[in-house]
Amino acid sequence: MNEHEKRERRTVWLVVALMLLVAVIYAATFIKLPVWLPALK
Amino acid sequence: MTEATAAVAHDHPHAGIMRWLTTTNHKDLGILYMSFGGIMFFVGGLFIMAVRAELLYPGLQLLSPGMYNQLFTLHALIMVFGAIMPFATGLNNYLIPLMIGAPDMALPRVNNWGFWILPFAAVLLLIPFFLQFFGTGSGATGLGWMMHNTTLDIQSGIGIDFAIFTILLLGVSSLTGAINVVVTALNMRAPGMVLMKMPLFVWAWLITAFMLILAMPVFSAAATMLLTDRHFGTHFFDAANGGDPILLQHLIWFFGHPEVYIVLLPAWGLIPHILATFSRKPVYGYRAQVYALCAICFLSFIVWSHHMLTSGLPLAAEVYFMYATMAISVPTSVLVFCWLGAIWRGAMTFETPMLFALGFVAHFGMGALTGLVLPDVAVNAQHHNSYVLVAHFHYTFFGGGIFGMMAALYYWLPKFTGHMFDEKLGRLHFWLTVISFNITFIPQWFAGLDGMPRHVADYALRFSAMNFISSVGAFLLGLTQLLLVYIVVRCVRGGPKATGQVWEGAQGLEFTLPSPPPYHTFETPPEVK
Repeated sequence: MNEHEKRERRTVWLVVALMLLVAVIYAATFIKLPVWLPALK
Repeated sequence: MTEATAAVAHDHPHAGIMRWLTTTNHKDLGILYMSFGGIMFFVGGLFIMAVRAELLYPGLQLLSPGMYNQLFTLHALIMVFGAIMPFATGLNNYLIPLMIGAPDMALPRVNNWGFWILPFAAVLLLIPFFLQFFGTGSGATGLGWMMHNTTLDIQSGIGIDFAIFTILLLGVSSLTGAINVVVTALNMRAPGMVLMKMPLFVWAWLITAFMLILAMPVFSAAATMLLTDRHFGTHFFDAANGGDPILLQHLIWFFGHPEVYIVLLPAWGLIPHILATFSRKPVYGYRAQVYALCAICFLSFIVWSHHMLTSGLPLAAEVYFMYATMAISVPTSVLVFCWLGAIWRGAMTFETPMLFALGFVAHFGMGALTGLVLPDVAVNAQHHNSYVLVAHFHYTFFGGGIFGMMAALYYWLPKFTGHMFDEKLGRLHFWLTVISFNITFIPQWFAGLDGMPRHVADYALRFSAMNFISSVGAFLLGLTQLLLVYIVVRCVRGGPKATGQVWEGAQGLEFTLPSPPPYHTFETPPEVK
């Protein structure tokens, strides 16, 4: 695998990981935050 | 398409409008983003001119309270999401690949998509405002830029729904842009450019991108919850049915406070470059600034409730949010002292970009200092929702964000266009901006300290003088920006040729290229020592 292919592969992994992170935060806001944030009251 | 014709199409941009619609080139997209930000700056400015015209005298002269609410809300949403953020994104698009020796952003097609979402989002936000003049709907959202002055009954109609969809679209655009920046900065650097050699502007944008990735999904989720509460029978924020309206404030400010730094960090990243150039010195305290930016990123996520100190938080939470917020002043002070260190005993000259950079330090300093006082629980109880707050965040957003963007525009404009701008007019623009900005916002401190609430179309007689001065300043500030348009248009059309280095003390890979840089750059990566 040459340097260009390695870079492309790293790009794909980074993009997938970051998109997953976005999805997890979005879902956690719906599922979890309504439960524990009111505890601040 | 054969490989040969594909290569030709890649080498040369399309002609005419197709170039701008289909471009994946980072420089084209940078110009598109900056142009969009510039246009929206004037749209948002027009809205606030109407607001200041209403506030020129006490009593209701021009606008109904509902129309007033719509205008200041649209002004805020447009300035933050339509002007400053897109302009800063334009700078990152144009400059990051040049600064790190990359041929383009990592995801060029996504880059095009991210930009072209923006005009549609802007139209979506503005449609209900114009529809009301034709008897359709009740106007645009009038709930303030964070949309939490709401229970579900405060404003019905299409305005908020359109704003929610605008936020969701902006979220997609911001997140694609942020992912693109992270991947580009981490994966596309030229050989030899280790992270700790990366220009501070790139560092600032890398951190900004992570903040967007962490904060924007929360904002999008909150907007989605509001939408489902309004139309699909859920009760996230509906107190009458077991929901919690304060939850909306928590969710929105969990995004909203990092958003303040999302607006400011790009400016904090570019100011050291400008100060160093015109002081003929290297960037001062590089590592300290990187660590300070990282610390501010972390702290910005744990202080959101200082925006809600009067919402009935328990005392322990109030004390925590007060001290946590004050802790941000430590890394912020590191930045300010590094900026001052950069000019200390430097061979300074005061070209327009340097003037705006120094104006940034002075005005942002006033915003930051008042930001240190406002989270004090007792002080906040006095000043919350007063004009003190309006003055404070305009010193940070305009004095910090917009002064920073103007410094950057003047600094890199000769690089973008290949022409020098008219220095005399640039300096005139700076001084008129400084004077009119302070005429506008200094009186607001006094009106606020005297007890004038914000978000009101009418006010008590004792606030008349301060509001009159503030409105006159705002009109002057608005007119002054027309001079900026003239300077930029004249520079784009011609002028003395700019050299590759542009400024005597300029450093960085982008200044090793001719001005303007060729359509494709660094296809063979440079070696960084």
